[in-house]
Amino acid sequence: MTITKEEYPTPENEIASWEQDLDRVGFVRRALRARKWYGADWWFVAISMVMVAGFLIIAFFPDPFAPFGPNEIVGSSFLAPGETPPVPVLIVPQDSPVEELQDLAVPVGSERPAIAVEQGLPTSVALREQAQIIDDQLKDDPEELRLRVRIERYNTLEETLQAVVDEEVHAAVVQSTDFEVVKSQFPTLRASESIMGDTATAGGFLLGTNEIGQDVFSRLIWGAQVALLIGFSASIIALVIGVPLGLIASFVGGSLDRYLSLLMDSLYAFPGLILAIAITAILGPSIFNIIVAIAVVYIPTYYRIVRGQTFSVKAEVYVEAARSIGARRTEILRRYIFPNVIPSVAIIFSVNVADAILTGAGLSFLGLGLPPTIADWGIDLARGQRFIQTAWWMITFPGIAIMLVVLAFTLMGEGLMEIFNPKLRDR
Amino acid sequence: MPKDILYSVKNLTVEYKTRAGPVRAVDDVSFDIYRGEILGLVGESGCGKSTLGKAMMRLHTGPAEITGGELWFDERDLMTLSDREMTDLRGAEIGMVFQDPMTSLNPVQRIMEHLTETIQTHEPETSDADAESRAEELVERLGIRRERLSEYPHQMSGGMRQRVMISLALALNSKLVIADEPTTSLDVIVEYQFLDLLHELRDEFGLTIVLITHNIGVVAEIADRLAVMYAGKIVEIGDCFGCFGDPKHPYTQGLLRSVPNIKLDGEELYKMEGAPPNLLRPPSGCRFHPRCPFVMDICRTEEPAFKLVEGGDQITACWLYQETPVGPELSRA
Repeated sequence: MTITKEEYPTPENEIASWEQDLDRVGFVRRALRARKWYGADWWFVAISMVMVAGFLIIAFFPDPFAPFGPNEIVGSSFLAPGETPPVPVLIVPQDSPVEELQDLAVPVGSERPAIAVEQGLPTSVALREQAQIIDDQLKDDPEELRLRVRIERYNTLEETLQAVVDEEVHAAVVQSTDFEVVKSQFPTLRASESIMGDTATAGGFLLGTNEIGQDVFSRLIWGAQVALLIGFSASIIALVIGVPLGLIASFVGGSLDRYLSLLMDSLYAFPGLILAIAITAILGPSIFNIIVAIAVVYIPTYYRIVRGQTFSVKAEVYVEAARSIGARRTEILRRYIFPNVIPSVAIIFSVNVADAILTGAGLSFLGLGLPPTIADWGIDLARGQRFIQTAWWMITFPGIAIMLVVLAFTLMGEGLMEIFNPKLRDR
Repeated sequence: MPKDILYSVKNLTVEYKTRAGPVRAVDDVSFDIYRGEILGLVGESGCGKSTLGKAMMRLHTGPAEITGGELWFDERDLMTLSDREMTDLRGAEIGMVFQDPMTSLNPVQRIMEHLTETIQTHEPETSDADAESRAEELVERLGIRRERLSEYPHQMSGGMRQRVMISLALALNSKLVIADEPTTSLDVIVEYQFLDLLHELRDEFGLTIVLITHNIGVVAEIADRLAVMYAGKIVEIGDCFGCFGDPKHPYTQGLLRSVPNIKLDGEELYKMEGAPPNLLRPPSGCRFHPRCPFVMDICRTEEPAFKLVEGGDQITACWLYQETPVGPELSRA
């Protein structure tokens, strides 16, 4: 053999050196080095990846992030973000020695202290629970004091306070804010500290509470789980069904391809959300049915992408060359066509997850998705929508959460596409 | 001198099914390929050279279809083999090198995988290590360093890729390599090296090569015999010396005169009259007659036979060298 020297490069043989460098490094370094090559685009990817990572962490481990359970009623309803909730306070006459609830404890057998509350307020619940806690603590007390309160209910705030003035009861428990309003009418009374100890809710709630007093922030955290579940499962099911169908349809061709494409195109032509609504309406609301409905909507996307790509890859010379070296059909499909088709699928996937989350939220928003006991952003949106004029925080924060997650997945998908497909950049 | 025939094409007809009707890209073509020779197949674009090359491996797809003829390769009629047998034959006994080396390798597979895959497809019992060492040995003989085997196709230059394609065909000691315009997209220096390589491989491995090209200079460089194709038919076939020295068919003569010559000073290049015919409705009689400078009446109505020219080496299909049949006893030889 005489030919050992390198050939002269012709213009089309010349490959930019940085493109060659890109192939010599691994996955991580490629992503890191990309910032050098892609100018301003790299921070796009970096930010979206951080966002996606944050979303995944929150979805997988909601416990350390969420202060409360998804369905826990933790305070008054409609608390604005950061607003301090009214606390129940103990009202006693000015000259009374009583400073806190515990001071009302009496020895076993004596008359139980009477405490007035206004009917229909959460103060009575708070009072009973707090009294129970103090009573439990007193069990070991050597003086055998017990706190068994008798709760007297009055119709209005004034009546409740008047009862204390008239000494019908030993004390009253009212909301601190309510007492501030009528304080001047009852100069002989004073308010002691909150009957509750220092609790987590004392400082208010970061993103406020909803109409039944659940913490909006906690529900957002728990809702990430449902969004992730719906987004990923639906996209994976759509991928697992759509990709093989697309591959087989275009590889086999003929009438199979025609009928499958007809079916898929009809599905595709149907508006996605309406199709999903129809499917969930038939199947009934449950997480699994939502996932199935969304998956069905997205199967044609994969099918069309893969089918089109397979057609163009099938016509490539290297597939013909593979046949000329005697490669089997399955081998050609597996080693030549599939690996050349899959990169575009990966990009579609990440954009699709975002889409599926959005559709899932849309279904819940329309009331077709999940029971309201499940923390889901779409449900929260639907609930908040009724109170949009008074409680803006109920609808705003779930909306922002959906937007951020969808944005993160979309940006990541497109950013990755640019990094790993440098040839696309020039188009 | 009796020569050993490796591949014999007999009355091969390949048609493309189109909406306007069948197009005969290869029409009743017969020729022999001798063992160990380099046969150059030349012709204009669209004359059916590539279709013929693919049909010889039964690689044609889609609308193309072999509608008649026999393909005798090494005492076997390829037309009677099943698809599976044909698949086993491809790569193992007949290999192909394609026109565009930039796209003829799988972009997501390393060069090594291409080679080991070829070996293991046909010899599944070969271990990975054996296949790899065979691949390394092979590419080194073709002038590619073994370290480069772990690269992807796009990291190689066009000439190297073309050598990889050849090594794929040689991996299992194919007897016949059909090279479909292998040097068209290479620059002249790389082209020369590649042709040189083909020549050496022929001598070293006893390879038989069919070189399909529109570049007559390439054929003159390395081929032993020349076949000239026009409008789906082979119009002249013969020894390179004979064909270039004393071309018989008017088309061959025209073709040779239209080759640019570096010594051509001031003299204008010969331009052949007319354009290649529409194969949907080929001209009657001899297909070249509308462009032929020596056209006779019989050319317009009767097709000439394809036979040996008296006193020459070439086989040609032209009435100029054949006895014109007279009257009603027209016969096709």
